Amino acid sequence: MALRASRRLASCSSHRRLLLPSQAQASCNPTVAAASAFLHSHATSFGYKQVREEEKSRLVGNVFSSVASSYDLMNDLMSVGLHRLWKDRLVSKLNPFPGMKHLDVAGGTGDVAFRVLERVKSVGHRAMQGTLTDTEEDTHIYVCDINPNMLNVGKKRATERGYNDEHCLSWIQGDAEALSFEDESMDGYTIAFGIRNVTHIEKALSEAYRVLKRGGRFLCLELSHVDVPVFKQIYDVYSFSVVPTMGELVAGDRQSYQYLVESIRRFPNQEKFAQMIQEAGFERVEYENLVGGVVAIHSGLKL
Amino acid sequence: MRRTASMLLSHAGASAGRRGIPQALADVLVCPLSKKPLRYCEATGSLVSDAVGVSFPIEDGIPSLVPKDGKLLEDDSEKSEQEPITRDSSR
Repeated sequence: MALRASRRLASCSSHRRLLLPSQAQASCNPTVAAASAFLHSHATSFGYKQVREEEKSRLVGNVFSSVASSYDLMNDLMSVGLHRLWKDRLVSKLNPFPGMKHLDVAGGTGDVAFRVLERVKSVGHRAMQGTLTDTEEDTHIYVCDINPNMLNVGKKRATERGYNDEHCLSWIQGDAEALSFEDESMDGYTIAFGIRNVTHIEKALSEAYRVLKRGGRFLCLELSHVDVPVFKQIYDVYSFSVVPTMGELVAGDRQSYQYLVESIRRFPNQEKFAQMIQEAGFERVEYENLVGGVVAIHSGLKL
Repeated sequence: MRRTASMLLSHAGASAGRRGIPQALADVLVCPLSKKPLRYCEATGSLVSDAVGVSFPIEDGIPSLVPKDGKLLEDDSEKSEQEPITRDSSR
């Protein structure tokens, strides 16, 4: 155990961090109490506002119903197009293969799903010189989102891209905290910019663990915490001044974007979130910071 | 065996109009509350969870399997044996 830990430490790059097994196992009472207090605080926060737990999902629902039609445009504006690269990186880390069953949660408008599909097709074609094999036909991406407006936008985009959606894409309205998929049915699970909006993060994580097959990969792309000194100040000004104003001008909704930037600050930091993923049962949990921690990709394996 | 099942399902779909849900969904979908299999009810076009007596609607081809949107079954006719969803494991 100690040897493995030291080998992992040696292989750490400046951007990757691995959670050492010993850290999580040393969960004494004060840590457990702090963790549950934290989770309760996440469940009852809507950005910086305090809300009742039951209210949170309704409020989040309103945010996404409001922003659905301008969601993609706002993402491009707010991240200066970078969100596309971040999602590319996420899918690259996923390493999709032909025949895989993949679940993308909170993926309403289809960004990640389409990328996974494209990736599988290109892998398949390189291998088989363009003929559709049986395994490639078996590839299936399930897009789950709690908000029907977001799913409808995704479905429409799929049609525009010429995907025969029943063939390899399915759209399901569901709750990340109570997924409607069978145990051990998925090879991969992704959640991009979604887990921040879930009321009970630990439930979403344990559901992710449940639906993944053994050997399945969990990947989460989420806005995270910036610690880099000067950059942090610039990022804060950008978040609290520029983004809500953009939201007002482009999406006609200042409040939703105010919620967005506040919810980022309330979300656990990289280390804390990695610990939560490990507590859900995942192993080889690690994370990669992008743009100094503006976003982080956390990953884990169900062994 | 599985290809036969999916061929039969799509053939039935072509001749009888839109029936049930695509095989790829039937293979993996369960009730979000009980995690037990669902049953397609053709009369209402909804997915029924007999384990908890709840039905979930399908809107615009999108199954709506959010727990709080489930409708409690009062009507006996919805509970009758209709269109069980075929699964590979049951064959």
